[in-house]
Amino acid sequence: MSEVPVLDQSVLSELQETTGDDPDFVRDLVETYLGDVPLQLNGIDEAIAANDAEALVRPAHTLKSSSVTLGALRLGEVSRTLEMAGRSGTLDATARESAATAHAEWANVQQAIDAWLAEQAKQ
Amino acid sequence: MSDRGTTLVVDDSSVNRLLLVKRLETLGLDVMQAENGVEGLAVLAANPGVIDVVLLDVVMPELDGYQTLAAMKADDAMRHIPVLVVSSVEELDSVVRCIELGATDYLTKPINPSILAARIDASLAAKRLHDLEAESLERQTALNRTIQRQKEELSRFLSPQVAALVSSTEGEQLLAGHRREITVAFCDLRGFTHFAEQSDPEEIFGVLAEYHRMMGSAITEHGGTLEHFAGDGVMIFFNDPVPQEDHVERAVRMAVAMRTRFEELESAWRHRGYELGFGVGIAVGYATLGRIGYDGRHDYGAIGNVTILASRLSSQAQAGQILLSPRAQMMIEGIVESEDIGELTLKGLTRPVQATNVVALR
Repeated sequence: MSEVPVLDQSVLSELQETTGDDPDFVRDLVETYLGDVPLQLNGIDEAIAANDAEALVRPAHTLKSSSVTLGALRLGEVSRTLEMAGRSGTLDATARESAATAHAEWANVQQAIDAWLAEQAKQ
Repeated sequence: MSDRGTTLVVDDSSVNRLLLVKRLETLGLDVMQAENGVEGLAVLAANPGVIDVVLLDVVMPELDGYQTLAAMKADDAMRHIPVLVVSSVEELDSVVRCIELGATDYLTKPINPSILAARIDASLAAKRLHDLEAESLERQTALNRTIQRQKEELSRFLSPQVAALVSSTEGEQLLAGHRREITVAFCDLRGFTHFAEQSDPEEIFGVLAEYHRMMGSAITEHGGTLEHFAGDGVMIFFNDPVPQEDHVERAVRMAVAMRTRFEELESAWRHRGYELGFGVGIAVGYATLGRIGYDGRHDYGAIGNVTILASRLSSQAQAGQILLSPRAQMMIEGIVESEDIGELTLKGLTRPVQATNVVALR
């Protein structure tokens, strides 16, 4: 997992290029993401606590796809693992570990995004 | 409203929705959005005919992509709207299921803008084609309804044969004019002018209505083509536009049926004090048939000596007489019992005509 970047900035650059008519758009998108992730992490925690595999699928799925969309690839991967665990129907120790990893990755993603936003503000 | 079309994005992830909306707007499309299937169906239902393409996420709360798709396909007003399923790469199984449920195509997340543009173009083209077909079908249906209504209207004014002719493919050719041997039967009422002078218009119309009703049913039963009603005078011909080998016989049988039915009317009228008699003239010969008239008002008519002869014979007929021209008499000798009337000098005809009266059918 270490080869995968926390935040693939090229994804964000590409988003900026392809939505070039609106320079604030990607920043708005990133901020929406920052506001949404805690909700999904919350949903993941609740599902794990309730040992409810089915309830894990949706928040993990949403977290996965929005993370991948914005280049938060590691968080995307761990969310994918969680989604698969949810789909498998049973939550084992690995699923709990993945949930903990997701929280750790989220902290990394926030830092990376803050840095990126600061960089953008300078330009 | 954008010219390119309107899309509906149904996705519970606000990040994905935001990005997809942006991408679609960049492509020049109007975009509506919904957070789940229930909302999506509500937006579709609230905007009939507006949405051209739906982009549908699979994993959603409330109503997921499959259920939404199934609901759309079960709804007549939504079933034709193209649906692009938006899914992640791992979900190819679900994509297959969606295509089976009627989805048009799919897009994988993260969405590639060029593929999105291509899929949208294809879906819009399919939708436009569908809309054009639906529009043309609607126009065709409306046109058929109009034609049907016109036919019905026409058949109330024209004889059914002529009404059918007007709407048939060979109709124009026949209407343009053609020559054919026909039998013409001309009927009118003895004493009608006198009756009309003495009576109220309501009485006259009442008598004519009864008379025409009786005539009409006999004409239809024998397959005659009604050329015109002119007060008490009625001209019917046979063998045109529908060819009838036995046209003389049909005309004579019709005239005899009319005479029989007229007796009932006559006795009822006599009780009311009207003295009216029924006379017929029948002649056979060549005539030119087709559209007669001027722009905006045409009749399907027959022109020829045969019509004049039938008309003159009719005016010579005594109450209850059916007068045949020599040629008509010759052609149906075998089936009627007739009596010789002698030579009649008819107005407009240089030579006298040897006429016979049909006494009865054999």
